[in-house]
Amino acid sequence: MAVIVAQPVRRKAKLWDKIYPYFSITVPFLVIALFTIYPVLYAVRISFYRYLLTKPKSHPFIGLDNFKEVITSYYFRTSLVNTALFTTAVVIGVTIFGLIVAMLLNSKVRTANALKILILLPWAIPSVVGGLMWKWILNSDFGILSGILYGLGIIHQYIPFLANPILAKLSMVIATIWKEGPLAAIFFLAGLQLIPSELYEAARIDGGGGWRIFRYVTLPLLQPIMLIVVVYETITAVLVFDLIYVLTGGGPGDSTSMISWFAYAEIFKNLNLGHGVALAIIIALITLVLIMVYLRVIKSEEVGS
Amino acid sequence: MKHKSIMLKLLVFVLVLGMAVGCAPAAPAPTETEAEAPAATEAPAAAPTTAPVAEAKPVALNFVVWSYGIETITDNIKNFEAMYPNIKVTLKDYSWLDYHDTMVAAFAAGNAPELLYGSDHWLQEWASAGWLQPIDELCPNVKGYSPELAPYALEGMTYDGKIYGLSYYADTMDFVYNETLLKNAGIEKAPETWDDVYTMSKTLKEGGLAYPIIMAWSQKEGAFPEAWTSMVFSQQEGPNALFDADLKPVFNQEGSAAFEVMEWLRKVYAEELFDPASLITAEIDQVKSMQAGQHAFTIFPQYNMAEVNKPGSGEYAGQFKIALMPGKSHGTVGYVRFYAMTPKAVEEGPEFVDAACKFLDYFGGKTDGSYTIVKRWAVENGLGFAQLPLFQDADVIAAFGKWGDVPTIEANAKLARAKEGLTTWYGAWDTFARAEIHKAILGEETSLEALNNMAAKWEELKAQ
Repeated sequence: MAVIVAQPVRRKAKLWDKIYPYFSITVPFLVIALFTIYPVLYAVRISFYRYLLTKPKSHPFIGLDNFKEVITSYYFRTSLVNTALFTTAVVIGVTIFGLIVAMLLNSKVRTANALKILILLPWAIPSVVGGLMWKWILNSDFGILSGILYGLGIIHQYIPFLANPILAKLSMVIATIWKEGPLAAIFFLAGLQLIPSELYEAARIDGGGGWRIFRYVTLPLLQPIMLIVVVYETITAVLVFDLIYVLTGGGPGDSTSMISWFAYAEIFKNLNLGHGVALAIIIALITLVLIMVYLRVIKSEEVGS
Repeated sequence: MKHKSIMLKLLVFVLVLGMAVGCAPAAPAPTETEAEAPAATEAPAAAPTTAPVAEAKPVALNFVVWSYGIETITDNIKNFEAMYPNIKVTLKDYSWLDYHDTMVAAFAAGNAPELLYGSDHWLQEWASAGWLQPIDELCPNVKGYSPELAPYALEGMTYDGKIYGLSYYADTMDFVYNETLLKNAGIEKAPETWDDVYTMSKTLKEGGLAYPIIMAWSQKEGAFPEAWTSMVFSQQEGPNALFDADLKPVFNQEGSAAFEVMEWLRKVYAEELFDPASLITAEIDQVKSMQAGQHAFTIFPQYNMAEVNKPGSGEYAGQFKIALMPGKSHGTVGYVRFYAMTPKAVEEGPEFVDAACKFLDYFGGKTDGSYTIVKRWAVENGLGFAQLPLFQDADVIAAFGKWGDVPTIEANAKLARAKEGLTTWYGAWDTFARAEIHKAILGEETSLEALNNMAAKWEELKAQ
């Protein structure tokens, strides 16, 4: 009797076991499909059409023309160069800043614990707010930076940092390092705390000095963390938008016009959705290629070592 | 394994693409810090005089504006609602600097209000996109106002032969100087040419004024191209300073008014007579800098005169004077900002159209035979107007006389004309032109290179 009852239950249980994985991923999949896959596919579709918002009734299929037009435009070259310079400076700056701060926090400084919380503050501040803070700091009439430099007698007139193409670029880089550096520091700190102290002791016994220990013990063991930091900061720098919007508006001239700003301008200033989406896809491809290159480099280094 | 790797790469691509696509068209967060000017206070109410409509169906309208004079607008709405108790108006405001992009995002997302502020430099763009509704056929009184409007203002509210708005205010771009600073430097009269401005600036600099000239030429500042164009108009004798009758650019040649203006700008920048911070300055900061006596010369919309000369606003209150725009012809730009209706009101039904027309009529037209709200803005805030009969209004003359020289204001108004090239692509072109003007001033390009780039962009946009 018991056997007769048990068989359908087991069959039911087996069926449920089979269905359950599909069932459990259906809801998240639908959410992702609705909010990620559908918009992305829709955007890709738009990129093949002439899509001017000023001509709502005419959206002819134009193949790859949107891509050709944006790639051959003057602004694309300028914004690509600006983005490359900015990304390089930010990734290097954030990595070095994060590493130095992490090593300081990992040392036996008494205030290290309090600093660990404080250091995260800039990262926790929304980008727009951070941008506005920097806008005030760098203001040409009442900015605190000019005020300090003036007070110290270093300058004799307030400097309009954001009105000079080079200083504007530099200001953007510094503001981004200030914003992103703390997160990198926390990543590196986590990595440093995972390195067994025995390795340092062994290195010291072998006569290793501070720099050599850092070079041959700390740095190699931090490589996975560094990869995360570099990949994350590359994506962040390539996609930077809010800081430009608040701080410089892409100017003066087009000195701080990055590729993401170019995409924004194409959509909201030129009302050319086709161009804007084509640019967004190009940005995604550039980011993807950069990530692939990083992964390949790290992989080859691992194989080499 | 290889299959898995491809799948993983594909997933990463979709996620990165999602991030990029998601980032690119993100609507700008409206900021409240960059209002065009402070709000007015102590408003005499525009008294409702018409009997309330008792049985009318309730209608709720949304009205979007840029952040200026919010207290006055709120008070005007209160009076309007008292006159028409069945109509409820919800007000929303965005920073002037973000207004265009925010509204484009709202239009594109199908989230338009029924009523909003419009401007002559966006009209063609917004009307051709179908985001604005022509009102001359829908609202019975609109056509009747046209004969009383300044031609440049009517032109600025007309697209494809149809009227799209009733004027909120209309103004001229004015050349303004600080009379005290000039007198202190031994200069007794206002400059009449750009060479005069240059010579006087040199004298002022020698006297210790670091940067005699300032402009609000941040790339986000909507009045930037208007100020630049007014310089070009002043240097041009006759029409077609920028484009010919077929909308072909005529400015990109040596000797053109635009070329001369560019060369002049490069010279004053290189000789440190022009505040380099102008390239990141918004209008509100420009006004404050002038009030602080940091600069002697500027160009801004005329309504700022009431603010800079407001008693108690600083050491130099009352010392700021309007001169005709220096140059060969003294021409300048006249522009109009207006109340507009969107197709949403039409979609919602005739009672919404009727309510929206009543609103437009109350705010931009006449109530009991007078332009009550337009006059209020003029008297209380010094805003210019398109309605010519108001030039004869005793209250307006008295109010304008407090901060300006009325004959010069009138002379400026007569010399003003609408911006050239107001087309569906004008907005996109003017944004592009801002960066090119910057680059010419900074010396990154020659004047001719910048003007050629501007001309090429014009042709490119025209071809689209």
